[in-house]
Amino acid sequence: MKPFVRKLTIFAGPFIVFLLLAGPAWATQKHGQPEGLYVHQMAHIFFIISMGILEFWLRQRNLTNERGWKYLQLAAVLFILWNIDAALVHLMEEHLNVLGISRIDFWHLKIENTQGQDAISLIYYFLKMDHLLCVPAMFCLYYGLKTILKNTALVDREGGDA
Amino acid sequence: MILSYTPIWLVDMVGSIMMIVLSLLSLRLVSQLRRRDRNNIIWTYLWWICVALSCFAVSRSVGHILKNFLLMAGQKTAWAAIRPFSGAINSVMFVVVGSVTLFFERIWDVYQLVLKDRQAVKSAHRELLFLNQNLERLVEERTNALSASEYKYRKIFEVSKDMILVATRDGSIVNLNPSGYRLLGMDMEKDQIENRNVREFLADPEAWPRIIASVEKEQAVDNVELELLTTDGARKRILLGGSLEDAADSEEEVIHFLVKDIQKRKVMEEQLAQADKLASIGELSSGVAHEINNPLGVILGYTQLLLRGESDASEQYADLKTIEKHVRNCKTIVEDLLSFSRKSDTEKKVLDIHKIIDDVLAFVQHHSNIEHIAIEKEYSPSVKPLLVDEKKIKQVLINLMMNAIHAVGQKGNIRISTDGSATAADLSIKVADDGHGIESRHLNKIFDPFFTTKATGEGTGLGLSVSYGIVKNHGGHIQIESQPGKGSVFTVVLPAVPALQEI
Repeated sequence: MKPFVRKLTIFAGPFIVFLLLAGPAWATQKHGQPEGLYVHQMAHIFFIISMGILEFWLRQRNLTNERGWKYLQLAAVLFILWNIDAALVHLMEEHLNVLGISRIDFWHLKIENTQGQDAISLIYYFLKMDHLLCVPAMFCLYYGLKTILKNTALVDREGGDA
Repeated sequence: MILSYTPIWLVDMVGSIMMIVLSLLSLRLVSQLRRRDRNNIIWTYLWWICVALSCFAVSRSVGHILKNFLLMAGQKTAWAAIRPFSGAINSVMFVVVGSVTLFFERIWDVYQLVLKDRQAVKSAHRELLFLNQNLERLVEERTNALSASEYKYRKIFEVSKDMILVATRDGSIVNLNPSGYRLLGMDMEKDQIENRNVREFLADPEAWPRIIASVEKEQAVDNVELELLTTDGARKRILLGGSLEDAADSEEEVIHFLVKDIQKRKVMEEQLAQADKLASIGELSSGVAHEINNPLGVILGYTQLLLRGESDASEQYADLKTIEKHVRNCKTIVEDLLSFSRKSDTEKKVLDIHKIIDDVLAFVQHHSNIEHIAIEKEYSPSVKPLLVDEKKIKQVLINLMMNAIHAVGQKGNIRISTDGSATAADLSIKVADDGHGIESRHLNKIFDPFFTTKATGEGTGLGLSVSYGIVKNHGGHIQIESQPGKGSVFTVVLPAVPALQEI
């Protein structure tokens, strides 16, 4: 037997035997339904954190003294609020089991609170209209960019540095 | 609690549409920004944020709109099938937007660095452009400024009354200003200084090592008093200061010296000291002479009284005559001392000094054996009559002439001259000889009473002292310049104008 083959037999042999004798490994994990919800909630939290950091940086570098960047800062704050709103709605609908939501018909909702507190039902109802926060946030982004563009054009015309 | 779904539906539908519209408008704006300056990393960053937010807004809003339409159409099953995809895309978009946002700090730092570099490049570009456009003018201006500066300092170098000397450590002369040439007795046109060494001009050979030692230690030398040897062999006292300079355009360090000629000042100081000394001696002599004069008068009187009673042939008569002769000698000395101390009476008259000099020369030529001595006289025609004591001035001139004759010896030249220009306030009479001269160590004692270099019995040492006293008594002064082996010049200066004003 050649030395190489002998070495291979010595080292690889026990592994082959071990593999042949192995039972089920359970290497892959099953992903049930709540996992997607958790990922979505974590994404909301990540969005909140990143917008918070952006707002902090904008203030730290005194960019908020300029009008355009000020609107971008406001957009970041509104996106944070919208994320909180959306995350709370998901929490109420699918985590806390405090509300029973059903449709009477397409234009009417029945919201039942398990503890009989209508205030929670009303909060949920208003929180459900989350576009009231994300649309202004998007508008602030748009307006901020517009102001920056305008100022940049002005500076370019005057021949200064941006 | 039953609530209307209409507000939620409306907000959802309108909001979704607005989200799509606003996000796309934002993307359009940021694209315009980016087109303006594609190298601006901040605009690129905002573009990526807007792209991510647009994707998020479109995916979410389309999902919401689709949901509302499907539910309105009663397609719950279809929505249930689409819903996980919509939710998953939304989650991914959240993460994408958040991730892109977190790059802000790094992007901003890079942007600042780029801005700084760009600013530096712009500044350099502007400067280069300016230099390029104005190079010729700038060079001309700089050249003019340099020329003006060079002219200014050259002028200081040239017109300085003090000697300015630049030399290397080994003493080689690099540069010398016109005053330096004059001080060293050199001619700028004829004499070359470049290959000369400072050591050649220092009387003390140890002086240069001392100067260099000071320069090595303190980088400078501070007001050192030295004796300078001029090219004609004369010695001049100088005050030397200097400092080491590391010349940028020169390979070797050079020393800059400033040399002040203090010869005249030193002579004046010595003359003042001499005058003080002679004044003190005069006071002393005056006191002594007065005290001795009276007893001498008594001795002389009694001697003459005794002589009357003696016959001419007697031995006592001869002894008394000897006493009388020596007493008279003593009285002469006492009178000389009184003349020196300026205590003797004077009888001043307005006289022509040239007439007095002629009388003196006639007297000297008649009484001395001066056949081989050439006496030359040079009278200035502008000399005015002076108010002097004829007898005493004659005594001064006789003294000076006799000294000159003695200095010349058997053969030589004596020159007597006067100088009194119309504007000058003083008249000077010079008696110059080419005799053996006077050693410098004797010069400061020459007017001291009883100082003589003659052998014992040849002179009393009072001649020059008496002359000094007489000249001082006339408001003038007497100076001497002498070089051993070359001769001496005695200068008597008498005030012309004040004396005439007294008449």
